Amino acid sequence: MRSRFDEQLALLNRELIEMGALCEEVIAAAAKALMEGDTALAAQIAPRAGEIDRQERDIESLCLKLLLQQQPVARDLRQISAALKMITDMERIGDQAEDIAEIIGFLQGRSGEECAFVGHMARSAISMVTGSVDAYVRRDTALAREVIARDDVVDEDFRKVKATLIDWIARRPDDGEYALDLLMIAKYFERIGDHATNIAEWVVFAVTGVHNGEELT
Amino acid sequence: MTKKIFRSMVITAGAVLLASLIIIMGCLYEYFCGVQEQQLKDELSLAAAAVEQGGADYLASLQSDRYRLTWVSADGTVLYDTQADAAAMENHAQRQEIRQALLAGQGESSRYSATLLEKTLYCARRLDDGTVLRISISRATAGVLVLGMLQPFLIVLVVALVLSALLARRLARHIVEPLNQLDLEHPMDNDTYEELSPLLGRINQQRRQIDAQMQELQRKRDEFDQITGNMREGLVLLNEKGVILSINPAARTLFRTGSACVGQDFLTIERSSDVSHALQTAMEQGHSEIHTEREGREYQMDMSRIESEGAVTGAVILAFDVTEQALAQRNRREFTANVSHELKTPLQSIMGSAELMENGLVKPEDMPVFIGRIRSEAARLVTLIEDIIRLSQLDEGVEMPVECVELYALAQETAQSLSDAAEAKSISLTVTGQPVTVHSVRRLLSEILYNLCDNAIKYNVPGGRVSVDVAGTAEGAAITVSDTGIGIPAEHQARVFERFYRVDKSHSRASGGTGLGLSIVKHAVQDLGGTIRLDSTPGQGTSIRVTIPEKENE
Repeated sequence: MRSRFDEQLALLNRELIEMGALCEEVIAAAAKALMEGDTALAAQIAPRAGEIDRQERDIESLCLKLLLQQQPVARDLRQISAALKMITDMERIGDQAEDIAEIIGFLQGRSGEECAFVGHMARSAISMVTGSVDAYVRRDTALAREVIARDDVVDEDFRKVKATLIDWIARRPDDGEYALDLLMIAKYFERIGDHATNIAEWVVFAVTGVHNGEELT
Repeated sequence: MTKKIFRSMVITAGAVLLASLIIIMGCLYEYFCGVQEQQLKDELSLAAAAVEQGGADYLASLQSDRYRLTWVSADGTVLYDTQADAAAMENHAQRQEIRQALLAGQGESSRYSATLLEKTLYCARRLDDGTVLRISISRATAGVLVLGMLQPFLIVLVVALVLSALLARRLARHIVEPLNQLDLEHPMDNDTYEELSPLLGRINQQRRQIDAQMQELQRKRDEFDQITGNMREGLVLLNEKGVILSINPAARTLFRTGSACVGQDFLTIERSSDVSHALQTAMEQGHSEIHTEREGREYQMDMSRIESEGAVTGAVILAFDVTEQALAQRNRREFTANVSHELKTPLQSIMGSAELMENGLVKPEDMPVFIGRIRSEAARLVTLIEDIIRLSQLDEGVEMPVECVELYALAQETAQSLSDAAEAKSISLTVTGQPVTVHSVRRLLSEILYNLCDNAIKYNVPGGRVSVDVAGTAEGAAITVSDTGIGIPAEHQARVFERFYRVDKSHSRASGGTGLGLSIVKHAVQDLGGTIRLDSTPGQGTSIRVTIPEKENE
């Protein structure tokens, strides 16, 4: 009985890592498409985001099955409930990468390089997603806390991007649409950073049972 | 074991004690019963004698609590009784002992009291006058006796049990102690019960077998670790569920992980979907291959399924660095493209001139100019093809004879052959230094000197200087070619040794270079195991120093 449960937990772990890897890949692809103005690459993002949605449903049903059939307690329960929360955030990351890809389509081949901070922001967001997945894989709470701390960098980047774009519109009022599109993209990256933060918080919870400094179990 | 010994000893002691008590009690009881009966008979004969003489008066004078005497007439009527009123007593003719006495002169019987706690013994005797005198005594039954003895018996039992328990414990410990202190690491060194020798012998034998097997296993594992540890390729072994069984140091570096990942899922060290898919393909189809890039280096990963008796037992991942191959391939492709381009340019110039002449568009007085152009372009083509041939010979790695070469003389020869070209640009070409003999390949050294001097002249300013210095150093012979030419800007210095690379593309045609000279020098120096150092300041000149070590005779 227990060994079957362990097997299913291992399966859950594997699926979660795979889903995390997919998220990393779509957001990296979105950032690359943005920086190179590569609309063909951007077009490939939607099907992969669809894959993430499918995986979310799979993991969700696996978690519910485990909860119903095995009635886990303590650590196991924490891991499963954390997984249920994490996949929601991962799915949102996939959606936002898809949204970014859609906006890249409107840019008509122009890249995001024209605004200096967008690239830095994209890289920070990617490193946060990678960091949160790494923290989950290694059950590394120190890394998870580092990811949570890094969210401030992305927020600060967003502020800078916003300032730059306001300046941009003031200087080139005719190019306002481009600036607004970039602002939307920056906002999506900022949201991705928030989701990565959430994932990292749930990693901390899965390991220690403490979420946002609050004992939940 | 101690418990078992202890328990059986205590039980034995208790049982023996109980049994002996019962037997002794039984024997003694029998004995006392016999004695009492005998006494009763003696008393009766005494009383009978007295009654025959004294009659009822004797009986009345008798004071005894223990004995009860009853005098019964021949018809059974009680005449006198020492403990009851004779008149109230019933007829005794039917009592067994009386009947026996009336018939045979003697009679006896015993009866239990109503409560069974007492037993009354009767003994009767017919007197001479036909009456019967009966004597009786009550005594406790065996059960009552036993009950009476219960207390001392229990005390004895408890004492005996305590004593035997203590003794049993000591004994049990004593027996078991050597067993507990058996040294199973060295079974044959034990000096203990003889009965254990076969067991110890067996243990010893099995121990030796296990040791041998462990050593064998360890040896195999060490061998495996040794082999995989020194491999430059990364090797990862997975079981059928994708859990890492073994990972060698090269793979650990590649996947940036420690040895702690053994026993974990492969996904925890590499989760990119390309690799996961390739692994899945390998598990399903037996083999797959993937190229990935990590930290600027390109790796090829070969994955193969491991099968044993038809069942999948795992997978092996072999990762090797293919950066060099990929680079070489890219270089080859670039080289081919460059060669085609370089060959095409002079040919097109030749074709253009020839076409103009063919169509009669060239005035007769201009003919020499066009023919000269065709000749010079053809000469350029020849130089280029010669350079390419040289390079490809170096690429082929053809074995060339190793001999003693005197560098100073060789440098002078080279300077001699280039003196015309130097004079044409009014450049002074000087050779300094001292004769140095080096054991090396003459042709390659000549190529190095020629190309270095040729470049120094080509990329020089009119009236400049080129000096060749030959010296012997600790690392080997050193050739330094310095010029006062145009120099190489810093950003180009790393690339000038690449094939067809040119600093200034627009001037290359004028200088007549092929872009292969330094590349040939680099290749030749590499073949000889030497080093090149380039110092250059744009506008002031370039100095290239080549160090050639002694080539060993193979």
